[in-house]
Amino acid sequence: MRVSFQWLSELAGIEDLTPQEAAQTLTMAGWTVEELRLIDLSQIRVGRIISQEPHPASKKPLWVHMVDLGDEQRQIVAGAANAVVGSLVPVALPGTTVPSGVKVRDANIAGFEARGMLCSQAELELSDEHDGIMLLDSGEPGQPLSAIVPSDAILEVEVTPNRPDCLCHLGLARELAAARGRRLKHDFMPLFTGGIEPPGTDLVSIAIEDPRFCRRYIGAVVSDIRVGPSPQWLQRRLRAVGVRPISNVVDITNYVALEYGQPLHAFDLDRLGARRIGVREAREGEHLLCLDGQDRQLGPDSFVITDGDQPVALAGLIGGAETAVQVGTTQILLEAANFEGIAVRGMSRRLKLRTEASVRLEKNISPELALAGARRAAGLLQEVCGAKVHTSWAEAYPRPQEPVPVRFRPERIDAILGLHVPLEEMEAILDRLGFQVRVETEGEWYVLPPVFRLDVTSVQDVAEEVGRIYGYDNVPATLPGRRRSSWRAATPSVERRLDPCRQALAGAGFDEVVTPALVAAEMLRRLGLDGRALRMVNPLSDDQDTLRTSLLPSLLKVAQLQQKHGRQASRLFEIGRAYLRSRGDSEEPEEQPDEPQLLGVLSTGHEGADAARKAFYELKGGLERAVNALAPARLRFERAEDRLYHPGRTARILSGREAIGCIGELHPTTSQAFGLPGRAVAAQLEIAPLLELDSTRKVKALPRYPAVTRDLAVVVPLDLEAATLAGAIRSKGGELLTDAAAFDDYRGSQVTEGRKSVAFALTFRSPERTLTDEEVDSRLEQIRATLSKRFEASFRD
Amino acid sequence: MSDFEQTAAEARSLIAQAPHAAELERLRIHYLGARGVLVPPDFSQLAPDERQAAGRAYNLAKRSLQESLAGRLDELRRRRLADLADSERIDVTLPGQPPRLGRLHVLTVVQREIETIMERMGYQVEIGPEVETDWYNFEALNLPRGHASRDMQETFFLNRSETLVLRTHTSPMQIRTMLKHGEPPIYAAMPGRVYRQEATDASHLAQFMQVEALAVDVGITVGDLKGTVQYFSQSLWDEERRVRFRPSYFPYTEPSFEFDVSCLVCGGRGCRSCGGDGWLEAGGCGMVHPAVLRNGNIDPERYSGFAWGFGIERIAMLKYGVEDLRLFYENDHRFLEQF
Repeated sequence: MRVSFQWLSELAGIEDLTPQEAAQTLTMAGWTVEELRLIDLSQIRVGRIISQEPHPASKKPLWVHMVDLGDEQRQIVAGAANAVVGSLVPVALPGTTVPSGVKVRDANIAGFEARGMLCSQAELELSDEHDGIMLLDSGEPGQPLSAIVPSDAILEVEVTPNRPDCLCHLGLARELAAARGRRLKHDFMPLFTGGIEPPGTDLVSIAIEDPRFCRRYIGAVVSDIRVGPSPQWLQRRLRAVGVRPISNVVDITNYVALEYGQPLHAFDLDRLGARRIGVREAREGEHLLCLDGQDRQLGPDSFVITDGDQPVALAGLIGGAETAVQVGTTQILLEAANFEGIAVRGMSRRLKLRTEASVRLEKNISPELALAGARRAAGLLQEVCGAKVHTSWAEAYPRPQEPVPVRFRPERIDAILGLHVPLEEMEAILDRLGFQVRVETEGEWYVLPPVFRLDVTSVQDVAEEVGRIYGYDNVPATLPGRRRSSWRAATPSVERRLDPCRQALAGAGFDEVVTPALVAAEMLRRLGLDGRALRMVNPLSDDQDTLRTSLLPSLLKVAQLQQKHGRQASRLFEIGRAYLRSRGDSEEPEEQPDEPQLLGVLSTGHEGADAARKAFYELKGGLERAVNALAPARLRFERAEDRLYHPGRTARILSGREAIGCIGELHPTTSQAFGLPGRAVAAQLEIAPLLELDSTRKVKALPRYPAVTRDLAVVVPLDLEAATLAGAIRSKGGELLTDAAAFDDYRGSQVTEGRKSVAFALTFRSPERTLTDEEVDSRLEQIRATLSKRFEASFRD
Repeated sequence: MSDFEQTAAEARSLIAQAPHAAELERLRIHYLGARGVLVPPDFSQLAPDERQAAGRAYNLAKRSLQESLAGRLDELRRRRLADLADSERIDVTLPGQPPRLGRLHVLTVVQREIETIMERMGYQVEIGPEVETDWYNFEALNLPRGHASRDMQETFFLNRSETLVLRTHTSPMQIRTMLKHGEPPIYAAMPGRVYRQEATDASHLAQFMQVEALAVDVGITVGDLKGTVQYFSQSLWDEERRVRFRPSYFPYTEPSFEFDVSCLVCGGRGCRSCGGDGWLEAGGCGMVHPAVLRNGNIDPERYSGFAWGFGIERIAMLKYGVEDLRLFYENDHRFLEQF
């Protein structure tokens, strides 16, 4: 909210504070001042135009002025002609910097000396008006401008949504005064009214269809109005906070909204044919031409103000054009109403229209403000427009606001804050904020919040009031904790348990990445990964409209980016979630989805089949090492197929009997989809099953007897896999065979066409004695015999 | 002089000039090898009285050869060691060749650092779903439907009935943690991804990481919250760090605060990076609202609590001087390699 310091300090009675001090006080009381702009007018002087001639030589239209500054006369050149002989204007002399930041210098403009600058309102930061020189309606030549137009400062204040009562100068002035230990000079606010006595008028009648929506409606008839421009002081204040003056009647409604926080609207009474005001839901097909020139289609989700049955305003949002005040209007119906916040917010969102009225009403301001606002506006209309205010106002206030007292023992406040606030201090703070405090029997306090504070309903709320005005800097810092006899043992987080796995992958040369979970539905669809994808109803854009179902595309996109920036081969991994629509759910999900945590690994930039084959085994080894860092368990790998992967170079990863992922070279079309040259290998597996593995490690005693090793090269058909051979070797090798690891897979001129040679390193060892060569050789013979018989294997030396 | 003596003298002079160990070995074999020059006298050819003298002469010659071989070898070794500085000199200023190691992502590192401090303070790390129900993300946190406070958190919806949302903060974990643990004391740290329907730029992302800490116990006060945030900030940064509480508003805490830490660059005097006032906005906090405690099945008359949280990227940005949030999620190697 934009606040004029000058307006604020007048209401708060704090003229002795600098804008900086006020900003600091507001910030520490909960009103963060995000920006402070000083408008110092004391260096600008009032000048009177003595003569004005068009510049004879310039191509641009320029005007040469002679200006009387009291003690001297100066020649000043300006581009605008609106300052004529006799006009009083603001003059910035050379050497001064005007509030907009322009530094004024002596100049020579096309042969004419210019010894100063005639200022526009924009240059003085008094409004956005930059066409023409600002004209003053009073002042003496030579006076500082600040004697005519007070210096000001503009504060941008962040008002939290629980405090709509502070979306106005009066509210913030009360806060500022309270925080400086003072009370407002005049609080303007009534106590509870419960309605106007006597209600009703014979000029206008009011009927509310839904009292839950329209909580209060006051219609005041004001006549003998002369519509015209507002006086300077009023225009200046509106401009200072960024509101463009329109006419005295409209300006007064805006002014009161900015001062009291109560939105007001003025109808031209003569254009209300029926003079029966109603508040009802709009009907299908109804529309209203609004003040902003837009014709809006309405429906039953909107509320309208009607005259007779005819909509004349959108309740809480904007008035209609046809009943608007204009030049020639002589009597008005001044509306001060209160509508329910959630409904106003809904209308505002649906119609995409936020107005000064809606931003206040949607946060639920007090209906009690309506009367205060109407009275203030009526007073100003009398004062400024010479209008006559009729004493009997029409009003509907079906359910007057009830007082909500809070009862508590004052020690509760200390217990919440962790600080002892003296009772008299506590009471003084609440008093300054407009609360009424009554000490009841046995020391219990009865605290009645001011009418405009609908947010205070509990002792915690009261504690906040006391704390922020007393000052949180005064609260001593302590640490919680006490002696306790029961506790829960600490357990490491999942992420921390996964750190050894991350370290192992980093040690194997893979960089960890963290990628966005929001991806493009279209990309998932192209990759066939969209089966259980969850799509947002209101995405920001097409390229992030869906939650990812796999880490692979994310890793591939990173590799693509890295490749674009010069890295030919990327080695990446990520531990992150995929999001899969619950199996029972349709396209319109009802249940929370599965969010499996996955490990994805990618290695790119491998040239040719051999390099990719090598990369596959490296990746597999790296993955096994990473899993081993979690638990001493073995993964199994079975040949498998997956449309994203190479048909001959892909395996399913199993932990026990459970398939937990996939590893392989990527299908050429997958790499190509991401513009990656060369071949890539990748793996993705689920983390949860790995975390369930038994992670206990028991150390085996070191062997006491030496091992005997033998290499065995087995020549078999190409489609026979090493795991099958290893299984047969192990079962035949018996207990003495402690390891049988395949270390080479050879195909080429040394073996027959259609066959390959797989070499195993066999290790034999007995825990009880040193094995003899004969023993081992005979065992080896049995293994060979089995392999020959079962797989038609032959052997190479 | 005997023949032995003569052969030994000749050999010794060769040994003394031998340039390296290999030559010494060649000389050893030449003179003392099985078929070497220096062979024992053939006693059968000698008269009995000459035998003893011949034997002694042979032994003497053999020993003297062995000694000079050993001496020369030792001398060569010593000379080689003395020469190392010149003979094997390398250029130690050439660049090192690191093994090919990967790196952990900076957000992982920072998140773990934060968790470590919280764990040290006795907080248990809890994680939960990112796709939340309206109840956990909003209702249970005192943010009823249609309420204007929801505008503070622009929300992604996953169905048209708006019952499933991408969580807008880690606070739903407050409710989940209270319901999971039941009776206090509860001290929990809750990190994770959160989502806001906001256009992306250098300081806004539609998805980012938060961490939030929750304490529910007997007699928890605003002072405890202040001390905890201060302890944490000093542990994360340094002991000089001061913390400032500015009153604010969150529907799920009462009272609520924004907390600032004294500027890491100027220490609080005021500089460009803190906008001149000496403080950096760090996060939000407050005393858990009684309605939230009730939704977590905890009696607000018996227990009170606080919650505080902040963005992990923000900490990483301050720590490493990163000026664009998007860098964390782009994973450009030229960025990652700097950590």
